[in-house]
Amino acid sequence: MSLLMSQPKTEIASNVVAVASFDPPFVRPGEAAVYRVSFNALEESIVWPEKLDAPAELGFRAGGRGQILHFNGTNFVPHTTFNYHLRAPRLGAFTAPEFAVTVYGKPVTVPAAQLRVVASPPASMPLAQALVFEVPETNLYAGQAVKVRVLLGASPAGQLPTLMQVQINGEGVLVDQGAARQQVGPVRRGAGTVAAYIYETVLTPLQTGKLTVFAQGYSAGNRYFGPLTGASGPGPMLNNLPQFTLLDSEPVELQVRPLPRQGELPGFTGAIGSFSLEPPRLAADPLRAGETVKLSVTVRGDGNVGRLAAPLPPQVRDWQVFAATPEPLPPASPLALLTRQPPVAQGSATFVYTLVPLTTAAQATPAIPFSYFDPKREAYVDLTIPAVPVTVQPGEKGADLRVLEQPDQASAESEKEPGLSGLAPGPGLAAATLAPVQRRPWFPLVQLAPAAAFVGLWGWDRRRRFLEQHPEVLLRRRARRALRRQWRALRRAARAGDAPRFAEAAVAAMQAACAPHYPAEPRALVGADVLPLLGELAAGAAEVARRFFTVTDAARFGPDGADARELLALQPELEKVLQLMERRL
Amino acid sequence: MAAPGAAASADALFREGTGAYREGEYSRAARAFGEAAGRRPASGTLRNLGNAQWQGGQTGRAIVAWEQALWLDPFNRAARNNLRFARKAAQVEAPELSWDEVVSTWLPIDWWAWITGVSLWLAVGMVLLPGILRRRKAAWHQAVAALGIMVFLLSVPAHFGVHTRARIGFVVQKDAPLRLTPTQEAQVLARLSAGEPARCVRARGPYALIRTNRALGWIEQEQFRLVCP
Repeated sequence: MSLLMSQPKTEIASNVVAVASFDPPFVRPGEAAVYRVSFNALEESIVWPEKLDAPAELGFRAGGRGQILHFNGTNFVPHTTFNYHLRAPRLGAFTAPEFAVTVYGKPVTVPAAQLRVVASPPASMPLAQALVFEVPETNLYAGQAVKVRVLLGASPAGQLPTLMQVQINGEGVLVDQGAARQQVGPVRRGAGTVAAYIYETVLTPLQTGKLTVFAQGYSAGNRYFGPLTGASGPGPMLNNLPQFTLLDSEPVELQVRPLPRQGELPGFTGAIGSFSLEPPRLAADPLRAGETVKLSVTVRGDGNVGRLAAPLPPQVRDWQVFAATPEPLPPASPLALLTRQPPVAQGSATFVYTLVPLTTAAQATPAIPFSYFDPKREAYVDLTIPAVPVTVQPGEKGADLRVLEQPDQASAESEKEPGLSGLAPGPGLAAATLAPVQRRPWFPLVQLAPAAAFVGLWGWDRRRRFLEQHPEVLLRRRARRALRRQWRALRRAARAGDAPRFAEAAVAAMQAACAPHYPAEPRALVGADVLPLLGELAAGAAEVARRFFTVTDAARFGPDGADARELLALQPELEKVLQLMERRL
Repeated sequence: MAAPGAAASADALFREGTGAYREGEYSRAARAFGEAAGRRPASGTLRNLGNAQWQGGQTGRAIVAWEQALWLDPFNRAARNNLRFARKAAQVEAPELSWDEVVSTWLPIDWWAWITGVSLWLAVGMVLLPGILRRRKAAWHQAVAALGIMVFLLSVPAHFGVHTRARIGFVVQKDAPLRLTPTQEAQVLARLSAGEPARCVRARGPYALIRTNRALGWIEQEQFRLVCP
């Protein structure tokens, strides 16, 4: 806590000064310039407008923006800069008007700045510092690492600037901070070479399509070309103004393609570049079955080898292979740390596999499939780690291990080593299809059949109970059947001219139709039972019935019988009577 | 029930395959056993098919054939041992089964559906029929009904286990790519070994979405076989 409290504070309470300028302030027509606005305030506290009110013909294009903290002896002073790139179209003077920006909640006026486009700028005017962003290849594949450089040349007077907080901006790219290094060296400029500050790093595009990237960094300097205005209005120059200039490069467009899927080889883990394999090294030989051994594999090549993913171990019968672990890099030398050089030269990575031979039958380590994509050849290249001949001897086991491995009687069967069986003597249990029976279309119907049967039984039981509770229903039904049966019989007798049979059938029909009304057995009914019911139906019905009953009773019980032939003529009336009786049922 | 003609030709193919296997012509034996299994799937035929395919180096297809043999006849000990042997040799895992799927492996798949149906309707009948037929309900009626309900409830999970186990399949091609999307150009998520188990989630065109114990992705249907096609 005391360490935390002893750190210098960040100064945010001082008078906020805005500086606006064109760099350089004098240019020829068609030359590029930078409009730069700086504040001694934190970037997060500045509400920067989306669009500036600037002369349209200058074509302002937003460039880099950033913040740097400058230690003034007591506190950290923030310094935030916004850059815009433009190109002067014609001779004349162009003014970027003043405007207000909110900083720390208070308005701060950014002063106006003037750009003069002349045919011959003053000789004493220093040239604008230019940051160069070198990308050797712009047609890349997604995942292909490429070394990039950010260059800042020395001034004509030979002053060699330094760059701080160099960063590569752009969406869809990954910048490897661990691979960055800086140096001072000669760079070619035109016909000659100049000394320059060189910042190198590795950039890897992750997205496909067109990607735009640019570099920016802070250069120590004191280039101000405009009036300075503070939050309290124009005042005396402050002595401890920031000395940093934000420089940014022209954007570079990358064309990133996806890796082709066709032709992908086994063991491809994302390596893109050109690689070679050193012969794999086995830590020991001969080996003993069951004991571990390390297999070291070194891959060399260009690209970011440090981020190479080891190929997956294969699954083989006689070996147990564990996934590789990358070999740690040796500790950095003090000189390397001072000069910020990487501790080892980029370009090699070593993977260590742990192998266990399972049987003495193994004669070589398993080959490990590995491949990479060569962007120059635009094809996948096989780099399978070859098998290493080994000799595997039986492993020695301690006494305790031998005891543990001794099979007991009970587990002897279960621990028997499985082997391929012989052929089955016959086809065995067969089926029409492998699909389970519940998936076949007829199965639901078969399951519904019992349901339908139970529903039918239940319905039948309900009907039976209903009939039991309403016996007259059955009686009437029986009477209707009997009536119709006798009706058919009397018609047959009438057609045959059999008058006695006709009369008997007519009487039986009337008895059957009247039986439910009493209720009684139909044959037990006599004319005196039937006639009152017929009288209710129609006027002449009783008379017709009386004549039939008279004849049949006389034929049955009389000494001389009776002539029934006259009854045949009464068939129409009889039919009407029977219809009335049936309707009543 | 298979047609008699199909059974006769399946038997002839079985004999042909057996003869070819004994002569060492494993590919011809595999063809004959495969045709026999196509006409009339049988446990012994599928076991022999797996043997012929294993001898021919087709690890994935052999595992599928043995799994199908067990699918029809869980009592086929030889097929079970062959699977243990093949998985140990090829270093692939057996599919992870849920408890209901494990229960469903105790009996042939068709038995569970019949057991479920018969027990259910037996229980329903023992409850309803005495009343319908106007018989006095006896204790044994209720005992049989209770037994039927118990068997039904115990067989329902196995019934569902058969249904979910039917989605299990195996990779038949060595180093088959498992892709992010069902297209040829899609990113390869993993390379699957022959015989590796997976569950089929759904199919789309020539691809199937499968879930292994490592990832979920798309694989060409030619490189993947379900136990229950």
